[in-house]
Order: sequence, then C-alpha cells, then structure tokens
Amino acid sequence: MSAPLKLGRRALGGIAAAAMLAPGRTTQAADPSTYVSGWALPFNLDPHQVFDVPMQGVMLNAYDGLYRYQNDPPEIVPWLAESHTVSDDGMVWEFKLRPGVKFHDGSEMTAEDVVYSFRRVLGLALAPAGAFLPILTADRITAPSKLVVRFELKTPYAPFFSAIPIVSIVSPRVIQANEKNGDWAKSWLAANGAGSGPYKIIPTNYRPLELLDMEINPDHFLGWGHNPKPVKRIAYRPVKETSTRVLALLNGSIDCTDTNLPGDQVERINASKIAFVQKDLVMRIFIIRMNNTKPPFNNLNARKAFAHAFNYSGFINDILGGYATRDPYPMPDNLWGIPKDAKGYDYDLKKAKEYMAKAMAEGAPMKRPFEIHVQSDNDQALQSGQLFQSDLAQIGINLKVVGGVWGNLTANTKTPETTPDMWVHWVSTYFVDPENWVGQMYDSQFHGTWKASSYYKNAEVDALLRKGRATLGQEARAPIYEQAIRQIMIDCPDIWVYNSMQLQGLSKRIKGRKFCTVGQGSEMRTVSLEA
Amino acid sequence: MLGFIARRCGLALPSLFGLLVVTFVLVRIVPHDSAAAMAGDAATPEQIAKLTKEAGLDRPIIEQFVIYVGKVARFDFGESAFSRRSVASDIKERLPATLTLTFCALAISITVGIPLGVFAALRHNEWPDYVLRIVSVLGVAVAAFWFAIMLQLLFSMQLGWLPLRGELSATMSRPERVTGFLMLDSVIAGRWDALGDALHHIILPALTLSLGGLASIVRFTRAGVLDTLQNDFVSYGRAMGYRRSRLVWRYVLRNSVTATITQIGLLFGGLIAGGVVVESIYDYPGIGSYTVQAILTGDNQVMLAVTLMVGVVYAAVNILTDLVHGLVDPRLLDKP
Repeated sequence: MSAPLKLGRRALGGIAAAAMLAPGRTTQAADPSTYVSGWALPFNLDPHQVFDVPMQGVMLNAYDGLYRYQNDPPEIVPWLAESHTVSDDGMVWEFKLRPGVKFHDGSEMTAEDVVYSFRRVLGLALAPAGAFLPILTADRITAPSKLVVRFELKTPYAPFFSAIPIVSIVSPRVIQANEKNGDWAKSWLAANGAGSGPYKIIPTNYRPLELLDMEINPDHFLGWGHNPKPVKRIAYRPVKETSTRVLALLNGSIDCTDTNLPGDQVERINASKIAFVQKDLVMRIFIIRMNNTKPPFNNLNARKAFAHAFNYSGFINDILGGYATRDPYPMPDNLWGIPKDAKGYDYDLKKAKEYMAKAMAEGAPMKRPFEIHVQSDNDQALQSGQLFQSDLAQIGINLKVVGGVWGNLTANTKTPETTPDMWVHWVSTYFVDPENWVGQMYDSQFHGTWKASSYYKNAEVDALLRKGRATLGQEARAPIYEQAIRQIMIDCPDIWVYNSMQLQGLSKRIKGRKFCTVGQGSEMRTVSLEA
Repeated sequence: MLGFIARRCGLALPSLFGLLVVTFVLVRIVPHDSAAAMAGDAATPEQIAKLTKEAGLDRPIIEQFVIYVGKVARFDFGESAFSRRSVASDIKERLPATLTLTFCALAISITVGIPLGVFAALRHNEWPDYVLRIVSVLGVAVAAFWFAIMLQLLFSMQLGWLPLRGELSATMSRPERVTGFLMLDSVIAGRWDALGDALHHIILPALTLSLGGLASIVRFTRAGVLDTLQNDFVSYGRAMGYRRSRLVWRYVLRNSVTATITQIGLLFGGLIAGGVVVESIYDYPGIGSYTVQAILTGDNQVMLAVTLMVGVVYAAVNILTDLVHGLVDPRLLDKP
C-alpha cells in the first residue's frame, strides 16, 4: 500500500525540483518485457463496431476468430475452429470448434458464444457487418451442438469463408452483464475486453486514441510453447506527428512506428544503431477514381486520356522513393484472379492528347475545369494530386486540387451528383478475396458506397462479378474474375496506380515478428524482445 | 462583489448561447456525413441510413438544435461517434491534462515574463532592453511546432535530459485516479516516482506553450513600467530616499500591471487553444489532441462540446480578470 501524504510545501518543492533536474530518464522502451507501440489505436476497442487496420492490431492480440489469416502471402488457417464443411450448393457452412478454449473471464467457449458473437455483429450493423448483412440473418446462425456452429446463407456467397476472420468471438457472459436497453453493451465494450486472445485488455489503462495496455494471457488456447520469451505487456502509445514518431523510435521511446513511414525517413532510420525500416509488400492499392457519370468521364476516350496522363513511374520512383510497386490492375497484383496478360495504361502524354482529341470530337467537354479531391492530412495523396495537375496542364487540362478530411470525402460519394470529378484513396485488405476489391468496387449494386464511387456500370461485368461471388472454389472462380478484370481494364473507369510497400520503423530488439498483410504485422504472439 | 459577478455572468450567457448557435450551424452545414463516418469504411448505405435515423440526423436542423440545447442544459453533450463514450466523460478525463499544461505554461510566462519586463524597462534603451525586445518579438513570431521540434532535438535527442513525448513513461504505472490530475493523484498516492516522471514530461510542452505568452507579458510589463516611471510619485519616492527595489516592486509594478493582467486573462484562453498544436506534437493527452482527432474524423458532438467548453473557460477567465482588476483597483467593482 502507498504511504500517505506527510510532506510539507518545502519538501514537495524539493521533490519537484529534484525530479525536474534529474537527467537520463528519456528511454522508455528498454524494459524487455514491455513492447511500446507507436502505432495508432482504433476509435474504440469494440471489434464489432470498428473495422480498420488499427482495430486489426487489437483483434489479433486480444481476440480470436474461427479462422485467422497467417503468413505472407496470407493463408487462412483454423483457429478457434478445428475444421469446417460446406454443402455442395454453398448455402450451409458448419464449423467444428476446438474444445477447452477459455475466455479472459475464465468461462469456456461454446458454439452458443460463437452464435452470440455473429448475432451481435449483425445486430450492431456497423462496419464488420457489411460482408454478412446481405447473406445472413440472426435466425440463420445456430448451434446444433456444444461445439458445432451452423450458418445457413440466404444466397450462395463464396467470399463468406474469406470474411470469417473478420468476426472476433466474444464472451456473452461479460457483455450481457453490461447491456443497457438492448444496446449489445456497445458503450461498455468500446472501452473493455471480452475476448480469449493471447493478450488481455487492461481497461483501467485505456484512454481512447491515447493509450492502451494489454497483459499476457498465460492460458491462451495455443499456449506459449512456440515463444519461450514472449512480450509480457503491450503498451500502445500512439504518436501523432511523423517527426515525433521517428524521433521516438530513434531514442528508444517506442518499439515500432506506424506502417506509413515516409520514404525520405528510411535512410535516417536505417543509419541508427537501435532501429531499422522493415519493408513488406501488402495488399493495398492506390487509386484515382473518376466519376463515370459526369461528362467528360462518361466518355471512354476521355477516361483513357486521363489514364495516360498520370506519371506512374515518376510518382512511384521520385516521390515515393521506389517504395511501392506499379500495379496496373484494379486489385493487388499478388492476389489470385489477376489476368497477367492484360496490359495496363502507361504514362504517355502523346497518347493522352490523341485520346483527348477523340473525346472532344465526340463532344466531351475536356476544356472545363476539373477537381481532384484528396485527404489534406495525407502528404502522399496531396502529392499525387499536384503531380497529376502538373501533367494535365501540359495537355491543356486545368485541374484543381481540393483538400478534405476522410469523413467528408466518403460522405460526398453517396450520390453521383455529389461525387467529385476525381478523388484519391487506397483500398486495404479487409478480407483476402477479389470481392474485397473488384467485387465491391465495380458491381453496380454497390453504387452509393465509397468503394464503388466511380459509378461504373457494365452489365457483363455485373454478371461476371455476381457469378464469381456465387461460385465455390478458388480454381473455378479465378477465370471468372480474370475475365471481369480484363473487361474493366478495357473500360478504364479509374486510374490504378500501385500496390503498397509497407514501411515500418522497428526497434532492433524485436525478434520473431511474423508478417501477414491482414493486420500488417501487428500480431504480437510470436514476438520477443532482446534485453 | 457578488452583484459584480452576477452582472458579468449575466453578460456571458448570451455570448455563450450565440457561440452555441454559430457552432451548431457551422457543424451541420459542412458537407460531412457523421453517420457514414460512424458506420465505418465497409458500411453499406442501409447501415448508414439506420445510424442517421438513430442519431436523429434526418430531422429538421431547428428540431436538432432544440434537442441539443435541452441536452446541454442537463450537461449531456451526447456520445462521441467514435469512442462511443459520453463526450462529457471524455472531456472530464482529458481536461485535467490540458489545465495542468496551461497553468504550468502560464506560470512560466508570468514568473519569467514580469521580472524580465521590469528589467527591460529599468534598462530602457540599453543593450539588455534591445536583447529582450528582439527576444520578445521572436517569441511571438516563432511557430510553436518549430520551437517544439527544436526543443525535442536538443533536450531529448542530443542531451537526453527530457522525454520526447507523452504524459508519463510507458513503463511507469499510473497512480490511482482520484482527481484526474496526474501530478496531484501521484502526490495523494505517495507515488513520488510517478510525480517526478510526470514533471519530467511536462517541461518541454509547457516551455513551448509558454513562449508566446512570455513574450507578450514581457512587452506589456515593459510598456506599463516605462509609463509609470514617468509619474511624479516615482520622482517623489526617489527624492524621499526609497530603496530602488522597494519603489519598483511595490509601487511602480502595482501601478503598471493593469494591462498585463488583462493580457494574462486573454492569454489563458489563447493557451488552451494553442495547446491543440503543442499537445499534438508532444502527444500530451489533453483536450487539444482530442479536438484535432474530432476535427479530422468529423466527430460533431465532440467539436460542439469542446468549442462550448473553451467558450465557457474564456468567459470565466474574463470574469476572473475583471475581479483581479477590481482587487488591484477597487473603484472598478462599482462600475456597471
């Protein structure tokens, strides 16, 4: 127990002065049992409310799912489930659960808990539910026995299995105890934990977007035989400013930065004795969207003129320092379903002028002023807009770069009328399936979402994407997506620029890190720290 | 005295209501869809529509405003779209850090600024005065983010004396929360290690935040003292053989600080606003960094609540400033 306060003003002043004068207290991450992450935190801690890259960091460490993506390239492997079966028509999926799994609250996981978790996702109807709402209702998720969960889909949906790792399994016991008026305890779980993962959330050490501590779960179902010296505590201390983030890594205050390190910081960090930059190819594509409903973007030649006017290699090599790979497809080029023989668009202002002339001959208003909207807090997006502006000026096109915040940019894409001429964004890996990219970007049924904001419509492509969604088995689906992508590339609805190379600053004391594009290397189970 | 406070509070209320109206309208007219942002990247239009209805964003703006004012009157600022917690509790959790930082910065500005201002006035048109004038102009002109980075490079990276960022070391356990003020809680718990660590962490942010205020206080104090030194009572005091230090600190300064006190009052509000940048650079977990997040993510409830809170602080500090004026010159308390 702490000693009670028995000090006078002079003593306090003395302590304060001594504390302020005492040097050498700057290194915070030297404790070999504590990993200090400088990466961003999700908006809250409920894995059924938020679904983005920072949340994957929380999910992979504090929660478990039925299956999980592991390794690079990603493979989907059994996790809380031991195996699964699917009916011939792809409508009924059954998962057999691993016995003896314990939640952090000490209770044992059963099939009813899995049913509750999926029903909670559907009930909240927030981001992670997007993949399931069209094909699943609460009554179609059942537990025929203590260790078997059954899903009966409304329609065949091949990406269902790829999306299974999205859902974290939670303990209903702790959640239901904190429910108010049937709210699924969303306020409570936003600041607490209810999982079974290798690390436990410490709710008293959580402040939204500022700090979070997790401690090791010695009873994790996989045990710790694979890692004799695991990290005992993960301290998330997000660093907001890039310059501070790099300095914090270089003076040992944090063990890792985020994964969007600017290319110009690579040499500086690599010259350090205590840190280095880890480069990993991820599945995250960079796109310039064109609003296909607004003239002249409703004209194929006009779209091709714009596609030939972007300086791909200049952007990748000169601005990004070569830390990205040119990807001419509307999907990561390291995923199945890519037609490798299809030719993308290259930077050629002569061709751009030719297509521009053709478009103008067809009545397309190429001389009107254009706007490209970018995230103003993202240097790379801004630079892409400025580079495009400069090249388009050479062929007589006037482009204005307009900054905005992510929320506004996506809100604008709700209708074709409010969607800007062009805008810039990335599409990350939410689940590893062509559905995550071309499926949701170019099937016209998704118009109104930011992912489908080019408002592209081709009946043949719609039919192919829907067929790909309803067909089981990667081998059978791959040629369908290849055919769809070939047609999409001919129609040139957008400008596809690159697939990302992730740059993350890491402390040299980190050992055993395993990378997977899902989670972007944030899983801590295998990591240990050298003293 | 009580009548004076009541009058000032009465005058502050319409200003705060006006602030609420303007902020509410501004937040609602920008082309931002809170429900879409709340629903997340992978949300379908149906999910967004459901959230829009739940949050009452489909109702007329007047109706939304009336509901909001009713809630504010009950100190209910709604729920943050992202943290999913009550905005009031988020603010309550973060305000102590901002207030601590602001008071530390203000303390540095006052305790260093006033003596320097007096010194500059006493050495009028001599080299110390020139140096202080240049320094005070630089203090106002230098950007906080640049000064912060310079301090970080020198004291954290080069000399290794002070922490780079944060409120407490990651490896230091936090004292039990009693008041919410980290240093005070450390003292209450007898956690001297945590107190020392917290003091270490606040030095650079407080120095950065104090710079602009310090420069202003030096300039205002210098001008006030110079003006007072021209008065007959100073010549009389000198002729009567008063010690120089007594004359300056007891009589001249007291007659010179009216403008400085006003300036300090204005500075307080300015420091809370200036904390937005400083807290972001140093990852100091106060209202400033919370506000930046809210703006970037379009968290309307948070933006409204923080703006109103800063307005209330401004109004309170103005009333306090008037009171201090009154204590220095009691005749002012009688004025309406």
